[in-house]
Amino acid sequence: MRKALAVVVPAFVLLLASTPARAHHAFAAEFDADKPIKFKGTVTKMEWINPHAWIHIDVKGEDGKVTPWMIEAAAPNSLLRRGWTKESLPKGTEILVEGYQAKDGANRGNGSIITFTDGKKLFVGSSAGDPGAAPGTTAK
Amino acid sequence: MKYPCLVPVAAVVAGVAMFALAAGPVLGQSAPPKSKASPAAKTWTQPKTPWGDPDLQGTWTSDDCIGTPMNRPANFGDRLYYTEQELADRQDRLKTQLQTDLVETVASGQRVGTGPPAHWAERARRPCRQTSLVIDPPNGKTPDLTAEAKTRRIPEGAGNNNPKADSWEDFSYYIRCISRGVPGSIFPVIYGNGQQIVQAPGFVTIMQEMVHEARVIPLDGRPHASPNIRSYMGDPRGRWEGNTLVVETTNFLGNRNGLVGNGGGTPFSDAMKFTERFTRLGPDEIAYKITIDDPKTYASPFTVGFPLTQEPGYQNFEYACHEGNYAMFDSLSGARAQEKRAAEAAAKKK
Repeated sequence: MRKALAVVVPAFVLLLASTPARAHHAFAAEFDADKPIKFKGTVTKMEWINPHAWIHIDVKGEDGKVTPWMIEAAAPNSLLRRGWTKESLPKGTEILVEGYQAKDGANRGNGSIITFTDGKKLFVGSSAGDPGAAPGTTAK
Repeated sequence: MKYPCLVPVAAVVAGVAMFALAAGPVLGQSAPPKSKASPAAKTWTQPKTPWGDPDLQGTWTSDDCIGTPMNRPANFGDRLYYTEQELADRQDRLKTQLQTDLVETVASGQRVGTGPPAHWAERARRPCRQTSLVIDPPNGKTPDLTAEAKTRRIPEGAGNNNPKADSWEDFSYYIRCISRGVPGSIFPVIYGNGQQIVQAPGFVTIMQEMVHEARVIPLDGRPHASPNIRSYMGDPRGRWEGNTLVVETTNFLGNRNGLVGNGGGTPFSDAMKFTERFTRLGPDEIAYKITIDDPKTYASPFTVGFPLTQEPGYQNFEYACHEGNYAMFDSLSGARAQEKRAAEAAAKKK
């Protein structure tokens, strides 16, 4: 499987201007715009940790060698408000990831686009549109 | 130790662009537009606790003013509230945004970037009625910084994609998972805006989701702690003025958190005094105002205000920030890797 294929050279100004700012860290300080990644991986676990959740996947190379990667996801509380639970991403699920690798060359990446293999997004839902998202509460 | 220039101003642009929506009914101004969060406000009576204090208890959020700029854009002049037409336009944009959140497939041509994906954000439920978070002075702008404040070092924040990253100490207290300070812990940002108010006789406590602050506010009139005792979140004292909870907070360490999102920007000084007012307007809305008086930092006091609302199903969750703060590691190790590459490239040239 491809392991670090340059796919798109992004237009950073436009891109960043259209994404929400002030998450917990400076993205471009952490991820390398010169190291795009795009590959398929199999979920081994999802860490529901703050300030951001991380999805662990195994990526199989064309030589058959399996390399573990970590992909950053939203804050766990935001995922919960969008209706996610610990069961939403079972171990063994195949996902497609597109983003950029950590600057220090570690196998960590931002998940700019994460989908299931049928092309559907992993993170669908709105924190404002799903009053039942939070467990243990009832909608008014 | 500089990173390549990756749009250091993008965060500011993004905040405005992405959330040019926002807001909700405003608080405490002379003629606030009618509240959509509290439709029953006309017949509503302020409930009291069993011991007779106004009851503010519940979990509230400042989500509705996500994206509202601190300083009012010049074209609005002294106008604090949007017109009905402007609000309707913003409502349409909000609706489109919420519909986009529910689209199941990736839009064709979606860009891949190093920035946070759109799905990370929590959303306003109704458009913010205000043109700025600053409600006083009337021009909606923060007063000038003092000459001394302009020389203060601003820690590297999440809005800077080109940070100085020599040490963890270069980063903001938010990125370091320490504290966002008093304003930073309640001002609306892209997620984690929850405020749980719990009352007991003689005390009000505010649990703030991000970065899990708990402000315990005594109401018994005790004096402030000695000026020798200082902290990140200060020493609050509360009292009731009618049904309004007034909280005065002093005894700050100084040079820690500032006014900009998540406690960033020019840090406040140790002379900082905050006076906050919480006025419940209806079952699901509190008018929140904070007057910021820091003569070492700002030329004059000013007031920021916005609504806090209760929303169906909304509650606080734990935010144990440091447990997975890979970003700090990655930013520092990334800077070192970059220096190494630069040094190798320089050596090759020789």
